[in-house]
Amino acid sequence: MSRLAAIDRAKLARGAGRLALAYAGALVLFGAFVMTKGANPVDVYREMWRSTVMNTTSIGQVLVKASPLILAGLAVAVPAKAGLVNVGGEGQVIMGAVAAGGVALALDGTLPGGVMVVVMMLAAAAAGGLWAGLAAVLRLTVRVNEAITTLLLNYVAIDLLLYLIYQPWKDKHGSGQPATRQLAVAARLPLLGTSKVHAGFLIAVVATAVIFGLLRWTSWGFRLRVVGGNAEAARRAGLPVSALLLSAMVVGGALAGLGGMVHFAGAEFKLRPGMTLNFGYIAFLAAWLARHEPVKVAGAAVLLALIAIGGDSLQLDSGLPAAAVNVLMGLVLVAVMGRGQFRAKAPKVMAVPAAQAPAVVS
Amino acid sequence: MSLLTEPVTAPTIEGEPLLAVRDLTVRFGEVVANDSVNFEVRAGEVHALLGENGAGKSTLMKLIYGVNKPDSGELHFAGAPVRIDSPATARKLGIGMVFQDLRLVPALTVAENVALALPLKGIRLDRAKLARDIAEAADHFGLACDPSALVRHLSIGERQRVEILKVLMAGAKLVILDEPTSVLAPQEVDALFAGLRQLRARGLSVVIITHKLHEAREIADRVSVLRGGRMVMVGADPTAYDDRALIEAMVGRTVPALPASRPAPRSGAGTALELHGVSSRGDGGHLALHDVNLTIASGELVGVAGVSGNGQLELYEVALGLRSLEAGRVIVAGTDLAGGGPRAAIEAGGVGIPEDPVADAVVPGLSVAEHMALADLKGVRKGLGIDWAKVRSRMAALDERTGLRMAPQARRVAELSGGNIQRVILTRALGSDAKLVVAAYPSRGLDVATTRRTQELLLERRAAGAGVLVISEDVDELLELSDRILVLHAGRVAGIVRPAETDRYAIGELMLKGAP
Repeated sequence: MSRLAAIDRAKLARGAGRLALAYAGALVLFGAFVMTKGANPVDVYREMWRSTVMNTTSIGQVLVKASPLILAGLAVAVPAKAGLVNVGGEGQVIMGAVAAGGVALALDGTLPGGVMVVVMMLAAAAAGGLWAGLAAVLRLTVRVNEAITTLLLNYVAIDLLLYLIYQPWKDKHGSGQPATRQLAVAARLPLLGTSKVHAGFLIAVVATAVIFGLLRWTSWGFRLRVVGGNAEAARRAGLPVSALLLSAMVVGGALAGLGGMVHFAGAEFKLRPGMTLNFGYIAFLAAWLARHEPVKVAGAAVLLALIAIGGDSLQLDSGLPAAAVNVLMGLVLVAVMGRGQFRAKAPKVMAVPAAQAPAVVS
Repeated sequence: MSLLTEPVTAPTIEGEPLLAVRDLTVRFGEVVANDSVNFEVRAGEVHALLGENGAGKSTLMKLIYGVNKPDSGELHFAGAPVRIDSPATARKLGIGMVFQDLRLVPALTVAENVALALPLKGIRLDRAKLARDIAEAADHFGLACDPSALVRHLSIGERQRVEILKVLMAGAKLVILDEPTSVLAPQEVDALFAGLRQLRARGLSVVIITHKLHEAREIADRVSVLRGGRMVMVGADPTAYDDRALIEAMVGRTVPALPASRPAPRSGAGTALELHGVSSRGDGGHLALHDVNLTIASGELVGVAGVSGNGQLELYEVALGLRSLEAGRVIVAGTDLAGGGPRAAIEAGGVGIPEDPVADAVVPGLSVAEHMALADLKGVRKGLGIDWAKVRSRMAALDERTGLRMAPQARRVAELSGGNIQRVILTRALGSDAKLVVAAYPSRGLDVATTRRTQELLLERRAAGAGVLVISEDVDELLELSDRILVLHAGRVAGIVRPAETDRYAIGELMLKGAP
C-alpha cells in the first residue's frame, strides 16, 4: 500500500508540474502576442499584477466579478457530472436576473429588504432552473442534444431581456436608455463588512460548499456520477436515469439563475442590455478548466475574473484593447486542457503478473 | 498464384523447425508477459498453444506476427534469423494470423475481402481472375467458399474460412489461429479441423490457440503450454496427457471437478422466470425473439445454446426488463414485469451478469466499493447519503462467500483488467440472494480456476433455490451445468433438451438448423 501511495504522490506531483507548465506556457504565448502589438510583455504582466492582486480595491472588484462566475461555473459542473453539456449558463444567468428584476418591480416597497432579497433569490433560481430544465426535457423527449438547445436558449433569453427593457419594464422616468429603474437600496445585497464586496460572494462560496457536499456525500451525487460515467450501467442498475438527468440540469440552471440575481442585486441594480458581460461563457471555461470539481471551479472563476479585471489595466496602461485578455483566457484554456496530451507515452499494463495471479481453489 | 503452381515446401526433417523462438522476453511496465520463452513450430504440423487468459499466449503470437516487439530474444524462420518489426514483415515472410475478432469487411464480397489482403498490381481489379484464383485456392486447400457472396450473409464459421483462405492466398506458410473455435457450433468445429488437416497435408504449419483440451488433443500433433508468461510444456504429444495433467500444467495445480450428483430441482417451489409468448425486436429493428416460451423453476438451471446472434442477447435483456416486448409477458419470481423496466426486475429479485460488463455494468471512474453500493442503494442508504462502512462490510462478506478474490475495494474499475472487472460483477451477482440469476457468458475472460469457481457458484445459487439462466457459447459447459438446455435458432426456440438425453452434436444440429 505504501508503495501505491508513493506512486500516487509522484503522479500528483507530476500532474501539478504539468499544470504549472501549462499556465506558464499560456503566459509566454500571450507575451509573444503582446509583443506583436508593440507592448513590452514584462511591463504588461507587472501592470496586471500591480493593478489586481496588489490593489485592495481591485481585489474587491475581482471577487465581485467572480461571484456570478462561480455560480455559473457550478451550473456547468453539476450537469457535467451526469454527462450533460450545459452551454446555456449565459441564458440562465439572464433569466435569473430577469426574474429578480421582475420581482423587484412587482413587489417594490411592499416587503422588507431582507425578505425581498430571499424572494428574488428564489425567483431567480426557479427561472434559471426552468430555462435549463427546458433543454433537459427536450433531450429526454425528442432527443435533441442539450449542448445545442442550451446554447440556442441563450439567444432567446437575450431577446426576452431586450424586449422587457425596451417595452414593458422600461424606466419611464429614466434618461431614455433601455433599462429598468434602479433596485431599491434596501433590497440590494449588503456589503461584507467595510469591504466593497457584496454578500453575493458569500452566496457563491456557500453554494460551492453545498454542491461539493451534495456531489461528494449524498446518494444523489453518487447516482449522478454513475449516470455520467455510464448511463447504460445506470439504467441496468435500475436508476431513474431521466429524472437524474433532469435534476442535474435544473440544479445547474438554478445556480446560474442565482448568479444572475447576485449580479443584478449586488452590482448592476437594474436590467440593461449586455449586463451579463458573457458570464455564462467565461464560467463555461472555468468549469472545464477545473474539470468540473466544484472547489476548483470556484478557484478557476476567481482566476478568470482576475484576468478580466487585469485586462482593464491593459487598456489604460499598454494601449491594448481590453478584449486582448480574451486571448489570454483562450490560451490558458487550450494549454490547461491540452496538457494531458503531452505526457510521455507509457505502455498500458493489462496483464496480471504471475505472482499476483489469483489463487482460488475452494 | 505462384503458391498453387509451385510445390509447397515438403515437411522438413524433424529438428529443423519452420519457426523457432529463442529466449524471447517481453515486458509491459513491470509485468513480464513472456519470460525467456522457447517455442518451435515444424513444417507440416498443427501445434496447439494452451494457457489461461493472461498467460501470455496472445503476446507470444503477436510477437511472432510483428505486432509486439520483444525486449530480448531471437526469432528464426525457415532456418534464418529474422527481425519481424511489423505485420507486413511477417506476411512477407509467410506468417499469417487469423484474429479472434475476424477482420473482414461485411459489406464487401468474399473476393473483394481477399483482394484487400493481396498486393495489388496495377489499378484495375481483375474480378474474373480473382474469382478463379479464389475458387482454385478454395479447392486446393479444401476450404469451400463462394467468391461472389457478401461477407455479411455468411455464418461465423464461413467467415472464418474466408479469413483463413485470405491469409493462405497472401502466401502464408504458417497460419496462427487465435481461439478459432470459441464462436463455432460443434459441427463447424469439425469442418474447421477438417480444413486444418488439409493444410497440414499440404505441408503448411498451423498454430492454434485454445483452452479447450479435447480440441487440442483432437487436432494437434504437438502441444505447448504457457503459464504466467513461461513455457511449462514444450512440444509435447497431447495424447500422452489426460485433461487433469494438462490443466495442472496450465493452472499450476489441479482443479476439482464439478459435483456429479446434484439435488433434483424441487417441484412445487414456484417459478423463477416465466416467458409467455415473448417476442422482441433487436437493436436493428428486426424481430430478434419470436414467440419464446420458457419456464424456469426455482432451483433449476437452464442453459441457452445457440450460434452467436440468434437472440441470446435479447433473451438476456428481456428476462431482466432491459428490453421492451413486442408481445408476451415476462414474470420474474411471480411478479409480472409489465413494462416496469429494470427497476421492476430488480425488485422482483432478478440479477444479471451481462455479456459485456465494460459497456453495460461498470462505471470506469468509480471504485470497486462504489459498484457494490450501486447494486442495492436502498439497502445502504443513510439519511441523504450512503453508509460506506456498511457497503464495505457487506462487500467483505460477499467476497468471503464467493471466494472470487475481488480487487481491493478502493481500486477504480478503470484500472482493472477485463478478468478482474468480471470478478467484481460475478461477486456482486452471485453473492446476492437473488431469486433469478441471468448470466450471459459468465466465464468469458476468466482463468480456469475462476471459471470453475463461477460454475460452482451458479450451482450453489441453484441449490439455494434460485432459478438460473446461463447463456454460453461452450456447449460442453452447458451440458455439464444445466438441468435443461434451450437452443435458440433465428430467435425461436429450436428445442429444449436434457443433457442426459442428448449430446453436443444433437445440440449443434439444432443450433445450425433450428427445430426439426
